Amino acid sequence: MGLDRVSRRQFVSGLAALGSLPLLPTGAAAAQDFAGRSLISSGFGGSTMDIIQKAVFDPFDKATGARSTQVPMQSAAALARLKSEAGNPQIDMYQFSGGQEDVAKKEGLIQPLTAVSQLDDIPVGLRDPDGSWVAWAVIAEGILYRKDKIKEPPRSYRDFLKPEYKGHIAFPAITNGYGVDFLVMLARAFGGGEDNIEPGFEAMKKIKGETIFKAASDLPSLFGQGDIWIIPYDSGNAFKLQTSGLPVGFATPEEGSPAVNITAVVAKGAKNADVANAAIDYMLRPEAQIEIARQMRWTASNPKTKLPADLAAEVPDVSQLAKLNRALINEQRAQWIERWNREIAR
Amino acid sequence: MTAAGVMTAGKGAAPSRIFVPVLIFAPCLLVYLVFFVWPQLSLLAVSAFDRGQVSAAHYIRFFSDEYYWELLGRTLFLGVSVTLITLILGVPVAYVIARMRSRYAALLLVLTTFPLLVSAVVRSFGWMVLFFRDGVVSNLLLALGLIDQPMQLMYTLTGVIIALAQVLLPLMVLTLHGVFKSIDPDLEHAAMSLGAPPWLALWLVTLRLAPGGIIAGSLLVFSLAISAFATPALVGGARANVMATTIYEQTIELLDWPFASALSAILLVFVLLISLLYAKALDRRSAGEAAS
Repeated sequence: MGLDRVSRRQFVSGLAALGSLPLLPTGAAAAQDFAGRSLISSGFGGSTMDIIQKAVFDPFDKATGARSTQVPMQSAAALARLKSEAGNPQIDMYQFSGGQEDVAKKEGLIQPLTAVSQLDDIPVGLRDPDGSWVAWAVIAEGILYRKDKIKEPPRSYRDFLKPEYKGHIAFPAITNGYGVDFLVMLARAFGGGEDNIEPGFEAMKKIKGETIFKAASDLPSLFGQGDIWIIPYDSGNAFKLQTSGLPVGFATPEEGSPAVNITAVVAKGAKNADVANAAIDYMLRPEAQIEIARQMRWTASNPKTKLPADLAAEVPDVSQLAKLNRALINEQRAQWIERWNREIAR
Repeated sequence: MTAAGVMTAGKGAAPSRIFVPVLIFAPCLLVYLVFFVWPQLSLLAVSAFDRGQVSAAHYIRFFSDEYYWELLGRTLFLGVSVTLITLILGVPVAYVIARMRSRYAALLLVLTTFPLLVSAVVRSFGWMVLFFRDGVVSNLLLALGLIDQPMQLMYTLTGVIIALAQVLLPLMVLTLHGVFKSIDPDLEHAAMSLGAPPWLALWLVTLRLAPGGIIAGSLLVFSLAISAFATPALVGGARANVMATTIYEQTIELLDWPFASALSAILLVFVLLISLLYAKALDRRSAGEAAS
């Protein structure tokens, strides 16, 4: 089909720009035959899901003969689905963006990755020490701002308290993963952190009258019709907004860009666990990760991935990202949400 | 399959007087039991357990916390406001269409119900465009000089009420239309021939004859309004939390299923209670008037 041709051409051009031929045969020799088999994975929905389908699953299908389908659901809903189907999963493979893999592992809902040959190439911290999950991409968070309203790019999370932005600030609710990270980074900016969230709540209370939204789908309206100038979010959405023509810039705060792992796991008892393992291995390939970086500005998790110079300038390297203690955050999340609902959203 | 089985069974046995209605109801009853009663009961059962033991902990948590009382109050307030608005806006529309002699009456009725063909999600997105600070509503009010600063209805309870009223208005109009249509216009004419001005005839005759339609329409709108999820989630955002969005949050974000099911049970009980009281009050009033 035409679409396949486009993605293949993009692959070839990506490789040409890369100019490093030795990467070509990576895993190609080990291509398995999954003709007639199918793979069902959760997906993030919308254009993100389409891009991942074309950049990863379609070429994987072509190479192995499998048929991969993504079912759109947000990470939290995906975890709920995995839990409700525990023991008899209808979906073989899950993709998470909010640290849900930790909970899934703890509750025994997923199985270790047994046939992902590149797993050891991925740095510790981007993969589970026991091999239960692996991050196949990383998203850099930071500050999105209207370039025409804010001349000097924001430098710190403390800038959200600047009086000149009053009435033009928006931030995500804490049920959104980026909302939790914003709270933690505010705490860090004012002397706290994951283990001392108090300064975060103190700072957020000062801007509780500002606009609070729940989903990334509100971003274009907020910047477009909401008269909003500054929002804590991620580089991927900044790129989407820029592509749609909004004058939005992305700034890396001095406290560091919190990193969001995009992880892949295999459901315990999955009927197509072998296909899922091979697909995850495919996701870790440099050529797939370059394509994802090109189309979404997501950071590659495999250090062997060498981005072409033009891309490298726009996508932060994985070593530049601040790591948050997700386990510690997940432990306190329910408690923070209760408190947030009472002190901030009211 | 079930229906076919029931029919052959009915043919074989000599159909007794009591047996036939039972057989006719059996397929519906079976479907109802399997797909509604049983899931409903097992949902309620989840809320009565805490770490494997029977406990009222989740209900105590709800009723001992003023935050949840406020949540319940906000949800009921949303339901009542939306019902009142749709009633006030719906009665004239339904009445005019029902009394219309033009051949366009049917077309108008279809036009009224037209919004129902568009999903509530899409309609709520439409309101989002209008409600933002730089949106149409704010700019229009500014231009008219009604407000002197841009205002934002987005992420407020007022915004949710306006959007939900629009989403649910067609249901109210449809219900009332059927009732007005069945009231003989000659009754109004009789009232007017006895000297009542048209508005008094409308009040004394038509509306007094329509409590059934008003009850049905209000109950429909009220129950849909307080259980609505899409519009409060999209337009209300984080600040205008209602029961439905909180149930979603507890189920999907926090995976606290027992508490979520306790919330659903509480919502269900309050809806039933209010519906019964409302229906009873309207019924008694119209019965009292008929007697006097």
